[in-house]
Amino acid sequence: MRSPSAWLVVKEFRELFRSRAYWLLLLMMGPLAGNSFISAVNLYAEASGVGGGPAALSQGLSPLDGILVPFFGAYDIAVTLLFPFVVIRLVAAEKENGALKLMLQGPASLGSILSAKLFVLVAGWTLAWTPGWLGLLLWKAYGGSIYAPELLNLLLGHFLRVLLSTGVAVAAAALAVNASSAAIVTLGFTVGTWVLDFVAPGRVSYTPTAALRTFEQGQLRLSMVLVQLTIAGACLALAAVWLPPGRTTKARTWGTAGVLLAASLLVLLGTQARPAWDLSENRRNSFAPAAEAALRQIRAPLHVTVYLAQEDPRLMDLDRGFLSKLERVLPTVEIRNAAQSRSGLFESPGDHYGEVWYEMAGRKTMSRSTIEPVLAEMLCQLAGVPVPVNSEDTPFAGHPLPVRPVGAAWLFQAIWPGAVALAWWLHFRIGR
Amino acid sequence: MHRVSGIAKRFGSNVVLHDVSFTVLPGEVLGLIGPNGSGKTTLFECLAGMLPMDAGHADLPPFFYMPDGIRPWDGQQVGWVLKFFEGLHGAPAGRASELADTLKLRPFESTQVGSLSKGELKRLLLAMALLTPHPLLLLDEPFDGLDFRQTREVMTLLRSVAAQGRTLFLSIHQLTDAARICDRVILLSGGHVVGEGPPAQWPDGLEAAFLALT
Repeated sequence: MRSPSAWLVVKEFRELFRSRAYWLLLLMMGPLAGNSFISAVNLYAEASGVGGGPAALSQGLSPLDGILVPFFGAYDIAVTLLFPFVVIRLVAAEKENGALKLMLQGPASLGSILSAKLFVLVAGWTLAWTPGWLGLLLWKAYGGSIYAPELLNLLLGHFLRVLLSTGVAVAAAALAVNASSAAIVTLGFTVGTWVLDFVAPGRVSYTPTAALRTFEQGQLRLSMVLVQLTIAGACLALAAVWLPPGRTTKARTWGTAGVLLAASLLVLLGTQARPAWDLSENRRNSFAPAAEAALRQIRAPLHVTVYLAQEDPRLMDLDRGFLSKLERVLPTVEIRNAAQSRSGLFESPGDHYGEVWYEMAGRKTMSRSTIEPVLAEMLCQLAGVPVPVNSEDTPFAGHPLPVRPVGAAWLFQAIWPGAVALAWWLHFRIGR
Repeated sequence: MHRVSGIAKRFGSNVVLHDVSFTVLPGEVLGLIGPNGSGKTTLFECLAGMLPMDAGHADLPPFFYMPDGIRPWDGQQVGWVLKFFEGLHGAPAGRASELADTLKLRPFESTQVGSLSKGELKRLLLAMALLTPHPLLLLDEPFDGLDFRQTREVMTLLRSVAAQGRTLFLSIHQLTDAARICDRVILLSGGHVVGEGPPAQWPDGLEAAFLALT
């Protein structure tokens, strides 16, 4: 005998598989992911010197950048533009056809109802990742290298991305009167985060795109995980406030305010979480071992004042190449951007534009460099610790692979869509 | 005896329910009758918590409310929806099948809910309500869309359900139906309770009372 929760899960699976939007998503994932995979493998092969062409420096040939990120990028597009419609349908349909009124009187709590929906949506999304898993198998079959920590970290980033996207779409479906309004709200949120990425690119941004980029760089930041989980949870809590039809406007307003307040506090706390790990195979987010050992001897708090506009490429170089690495090594780093204008074009020389000041234990020094070894040496001198010597560490060798994506076009653009169409036909034929 | 007292509901400046109070006796078939727009559905929705009420209190046993005009899980088959409701509410195994026979839903078990006619849908919703374990059922327009024969059969079924101890509270707009099945009726007009009692208490019949009071 099944429990009410088990019945809910079965019902949600049946509803998911009745959804044409979901079948369309499954169908499209083959060509979408396949196109990314084929392009990525071809580019990687050319960079590896396929067909007698000149090979790029092998150090630059990382499967994370060359294959995994562009291949899985198809899923970022799908989770942004296709999956929300599947989510909205699963929530809004029950509101519109009256089923929700029956469900809310049943033995399952609203939390169980939402949890069942979330579980089934994530399971459905995992199934839509089948072309992704097939692509990984193909890559391995070609002789490609996969570094497990990198892959798992990237998958975690995509998992958080789908949780966030699902949360936003569920909240939109709960708040909006009908499915089409919910779709507009969801797309509005997505476009809003894109605009935010464009107009206010911060050092550490928590928009969905920026968060995924962190994982794509091989970084695992606890703050990023906590913030994404908090926002997704807050969206589901908002849905719980708005879904029951009998709530007064006052109750909904207070509920919404409570959720937003709690979420804001948790996000604020989450952003303070310092732990971060470099899971990239080539340690791109870490100092060289000798420099890291030297810098770890520094215990005093470091204050960094940066005079660079947000959109200045030097700021990005400084951040990726030095500051973000520094934050994981030193116990206390406080970074402040003191640029007066958004663009450095009209800053006068007296405004210190381009300078970066480092202050520790009453001593200060300034540098305009963004080069890691230069800055690491300068910081050691400022702190009075022994300067790191160049070590003889073996650099990352890279994984060149000059092979073409044999069979991928057939698999992704013919076999997969054919299999989905056949499954769809069988499902609806049996279900008729 | 259960008591509903002082229910009030307004939509903006439009007052739909004014201080609605009445009693519900265990095991009875209670009818809620009134002209269109008198507030019958609004009263049910307020009692069921589907609409926030502005004032009032309902001391009712656990109940299940089956709204009118819904078409739940319209992409699923009738047989599966009944099985799902049986399982979700922990009804005895086979009860859904039994109700499918009683309400003549067996031929539609493989039909999608979205393809049912109004009368077929009404019988499905009734079967779903009867699969719940609640001691009180609120049914909004349970005979709407049924033909004469089906109405008689459903009335017999509901009578047998009441005889087993469940209380039924039915919103009915056909006075002849109400007079035939209800032990007592509440007459609602303009959001006010204008009469309450057994149909036989009005010597000229419910229709005359309806015309006189509304």
